[in-house]
Amino acid sequence: MSIRAPRKGENYELSVDLNSEYREKRKDAIKRTIASMTVGKDVSGLFPDVLKNMQTDDLEQKKLVYLYLMNYAKTQPELVILAVNTFVKDTDDPNPLVRALAIRTMGCLRAEKIIDYLCDPLQKCLKDENPYVRKTAALCVAKLYDLKPDLVLDNGFLDQLLEMIADSNPMVVANTVAALTDIHVSAIGSGASSEDSGYFTITTSILNKLLIALNECSEWGRVAILNALARYQAHDEKESEHICERVVPQFQHANGAVVLAAVKVIMIHMRKVHREEMTRQLVRKMAPPLVTLLSSPPEVQWVALRNINLLLQKRPDILQNEMRVFFCKYNDPLYVKVEKVDIMVRLASENNVDALLSELKEYASEVDVDFVRKSIKAIGQTAVKIDAAAERCVNVLLELINTRVSYVVQEAVVVMKDIFRKYPKTYEGVIPILCSNLDELDEPEAKASLIWIIGEYANTIDNAADLLGIFVDSFTEEAYPVQLQTLTAVVKLFLIKPDSSQAIVQRILNTATKDCDSPDVRDRAYIYWRLLSMDPAAAKAVVLAHRPPISIPRTTVAPSLLEELLGEVGTLASVYHKPSETFIGKGRIGADAVRNRAELGDDQLSAQKALQTVAAGQQAENLLDFDDASTIEGQPSGLAATGILSQTPAAANIIAGTSTNPLDDLVSIFGGGDSGSSGGLAPAPMSFGGGGFGGMGQFGAGAPGALGTAGLSNMPPTPATAKPNMHPEQQEDLLGLF
Amino acid sequence: MGIDGIILMDNNGRPIIQSGFRSTSPAYPLVHVDAVNDALSKALRPQDVDPVIHVPSLNIGDAPSACCHLQSSDVRVLCSISGNVDPLFGFAFIQTFLDILQEYFGTVSAATLRENFDTVYQLLEETLDSGGHPLTTSPNALRDIVLPPSLLNKLLSVAGANINTTINSGSGLGGAGGPFSSPIPWRKAGLRYTANEIYFDIVENLVAIINRNSVTLSSNVFGKIEANAKLSGTPDCILSFTNPNVLVDCVFHPCVRLQRWSQHKSLSFIPPDGKFILSEYRYAPNASRASSTVTPASSSREGVTLPFALKPEIDLQDYSASFNIIFTSRLTAKSIENVLIEMNLGEGASGIKCVASRGTASWAFDSQKRVLKWEISNVPPSSSWNLRGSFSTPTIAPRPSRALQVHFDIPTHTFSSLKVDQLKVSGESYKLYKGFRGRSTGNVEWRW
Repeated sequence: MSIRAPRKGENYELSVDLNSEYREKRKDAIKRTIASMTVGKDVSGLFPDVLKNMQTDDLEQKKLVYLYLMNYAKTQPELVILAVNTFVKDTDDPNPLVRALAIRTMGCLRAEKIIDYLCDPLQKCLKDENPYVRKTAALCVAKLYDLKPDLVLDNGFLDQLLEMIADSNPMVVANTVAALTDIHVSAIGSGASSEDSGYFTITTSILNKLLIALNECSEWGRVAILNALARYQAHDEKESEHICERVVPQFQHANGAVVLAAVKVIMIHMRKVHREEMTRQLVRKMAPPLVTLLSSPPEVQWVALRNINLLLQKRPDILQNEMRVFFCKYNDPLYVKVEKVDIMVRLASENNVDALLSELKEYASEVDVDFVRKSIKAIGQTAVKIDAAAERCVNVLLELINTRVSYVVQEAVVVMKDIFRKYPKTYEGVIPILCSNLDELDEPEAKASLIWIIGEYANTIDNAADLLGIFVDSFTEEAYPVQLQTLTAVVKLFLIKPDSSQAIVQRILNTATKDCDSPDVRDRAYIYWRLLSMDPAAAKAVVLAHRPPISIPRTTVAPSLLEELLGEVGTLASVYHKPSETFIGKGRIGADAVRNRAELGDDQLSAQKALQTVAAGQQAENLLDFDDASTIEGQPSGLAATGILSQTPAAANIIAGTSTNPLDDLVSIFGGGDSGSSGGLAPAPMSFGGGGFGGMGQFGAGAPGALGTAGLSNMPPTPATAKPNMHPEQQEDLLGLF
Repeated sequence: MGIDGIILMDNNGRPIIQSGFRSTSPAYPLVHVDAVNDALSKALRPQDVDPVIHVPSLNIGDAPSACCHLQSSDVRVLCSISGNVDPLFGFAFIQTFLDILQEYFGTVSAATLRENFDTVYQLLEETLDSGGHPLTTSPNALRDIVLPPSLLNKLLSVAGANINTTINSGSGLGGAGGPFSSPIPWRKAGLRYTANEIYFDIVENLVAIINRNSVTLSSNVFGKIEANAKLSGTPDCILSFTNPNVLVDCVFHPCVRLQRWSQHKSLSFIPPDGKFILSEYRYAPNASRASSTVTPASSSREGVTLPFALKPEIDLQDYSASFNIIFTSRLTAKSIENVLIEMNLGEGASGIKCVASRGTASWAFDSQKRVLKWEISNVPPSSSWNLRGSFSTPTIAPRPSRALQVHFDIPTHTFSSLKVDQLKVSGESYKLYKGFRGRSTGNVEWRW
């Protein structure tokens, strides 16, 4: 230490105290040094002084010195070497705490020079008589592997760990499993081994040891063991059943993480169980622990709700009688309320729809605008889902429109449009009331919805031409979605009442083709113009084509993706409702997962395909996000701000309407190839609500030509479009959003 | 993979103490702190921020991570997780760590954390491995390896004497048997008490929503059996109930033998030392049907009878509103305590004038949260209370919340009337003192 700090100031005083002859003074000085370190002051200059205090009988002081060492080992590796002797000596200390502490700290230092001295003591500690030392040493092996894999292999630590799975102490077993899993994952990530011949392949004999240790170790150990069990490939149905039976009792653990990990194991091994009765029983046992989590703090509730939401998509019947548990309280945070409403709609049936509606009406009178909109959307979803309740839903909506609160009215209009699409020609009596609120609408989506209704029912609305005239007058000032809808509505009007609306159609085609900035609007106007002038009969067939009624999605994610996610219940993937590849990225784990999937059977292939499309689609989507500020607005959370996850689970659901998920769009558009049973289902549900952002990204980035096709909004479904299930209205919505 | 670290942050969004983050780059914790602060500043209300925040990585090569966070008094706890792990793993660890801090310091606040930073550091080291695995989290075992700040230490520092004594140093460490040598993970070996006692508290929390017609929309009772054991040796307890059928959806402390429960409906266990939660359950009034596990419990329909009635009369006028709330106890023998009734008066409410009927009731207005609070410390059986008042708003239509939140305690009362039949202790020969107590709390939303 040729350069010493100046002989004054805080660090100098500390250094004097660290060298004091009084024990207490020295210990106090160490504490003050750590305190300075905590607040970010540089006390690395005191390294030699602190080091002198390392040899002590006072365990607390030892820990503090070790803490200091760990903090500065990265920046001062050459100084750490001075501490090696003490470390090695400590691993022979009679006190097991000191032995464990020394071995743990050596593993944490991450300094190359220390590592070479680590092997011998580690060898000893793995065989220590004290379980606390053994379990600490087990984890240390994983850290050593992270730094120098060769050392672990050369010294036979790996085999030693595999032997330790049979240790008598369950905590040692749990830590060993955790360490082996870490090594396994990073070995696969670096290409040193593959899933088949991995360092930690779970054999039948290991399986039995794990199942025994599972019931005896701590909560964290259980999570580690359960995660290992989730990786096990059962040989036959009997073995799967056996695993499920042994894991089910974990549902009664007080720690939510254990419960979710157990749910995951069951979901995975249940795939091989073919006895319907057994499956039903397992699923039934799964629900109560998840409901119990609802008495926890809101953060935990949210995780539970997201997982329940996923499970319900696969098994809508599990919580049939429990809808009231999900009723929202005024004080619930927004993210919890949004999930609860989603689940309530999922659980809606003819028996409970009255309770649901009065509850949703209640929410619609709250102050929180986002939540009010979500509730009104939920009313619409209920109407579309349950035919028998549609009329009651419409009545509730009318009551809400009567409140004349601006955002309530606008949302209700949007929702009414969807009800008309599901039940055409049923609630025409409502139209005058909707039209009387025309002046209050200022949001594009609400305006566009009302215009669509007017156009669709032009024959029953006497003053349709006058109403549309208002929008034609202000045509160039309106948002593009409104322009597109106005255009289509006027053309519809013309085809229905050709005599009285010749002037207005001429005017709008003129304005749209000449004065409009948007190529979409112009293109559509040109197409209409040509259709009308060439062959009015064809125009009628195109524009007034019969449209299939919409239906509510049973799943918010594509069925194949759902199956994938259900295997990951209780992980981030199940909370985001996205495959893990999309947010873990190209890291080691991502590679692991991809490889993992490559081995799965044919039944998993469609899932894989879906994943690829999703990944490709999300990249395209990101590109678009940059130049379109409007899609970003109102996304309050960190999740949404990310590039890859451009949608927050909770907040963005409000914006995107129903819990529509962009994934669906992507899968439906690109997954045309895997249509069959799975791909074909996906697009249909999507036609409800406002459409997803994801789909648009695809249009824009994919092929400019696609815009033209989509512009032909009222094309009758033909095989040539390759998207037979896509509703024309949805395409308009999609375009409109951008 | 796993938990990368934990950060304790003060109200201003500055980290107080954080774990080592030794396997990540130094910028990693900073990015997480930033991400959370960013999300908080963007949200209208801090409680509406998504509890799991996605944190993009700084370097292209790294995988992005996620941050679980929650608020506890004036401390915000962040838990960074990476890889496809369970966010609940993070939350469970945060909760466990907060419980440990609570156990050690009595309260968890920014001040106590700063004051005891050395102990907190040691606790972080012992509870969380740098590879992302939680280590020792049972308070029982922790006490052996991290010494709680002693009372004497505290007294000295309060008195202003800055002497950090080392009175506790090396106190019997490595002594008889050594730590972690016990065959039962949750119980230390060789415990000795002069007075052997075990107490059980049955605590039930009623969560209910009542609509404007005083009809119960949903009600659930979540119960807990809290225990405090001070028993020598390794006692083996069997706790049986006269009416175990009222308990559904039970979760248990790992010490409970699950097989005994499913066969005999009694709790058989070797208790941990000190305080622990033996079991949590849901009370379903129509238990006879639900407990057969053929149908998932459909408890909500019938519900439990509420111990009180509320009659809110709220009259909204232009630019102002007046209200008259009457609270009546329906209990005939017991009194309800610590009643707190809250109402959010809406944006910009001001000029609050209230009269609470009797002397022992008081009201206050939290101008930041715009919440009117009416507190009654003790409501004798069948008594009736009222609060009358008015407030004005800057907008023409006042928008107070459509619901009143009622919180209350009822000592020595349980909704389920769960009765302990007997507690048998075998394996040890001493006489012990047993105590049982019931207690109820409630959070009821009453709409008007």
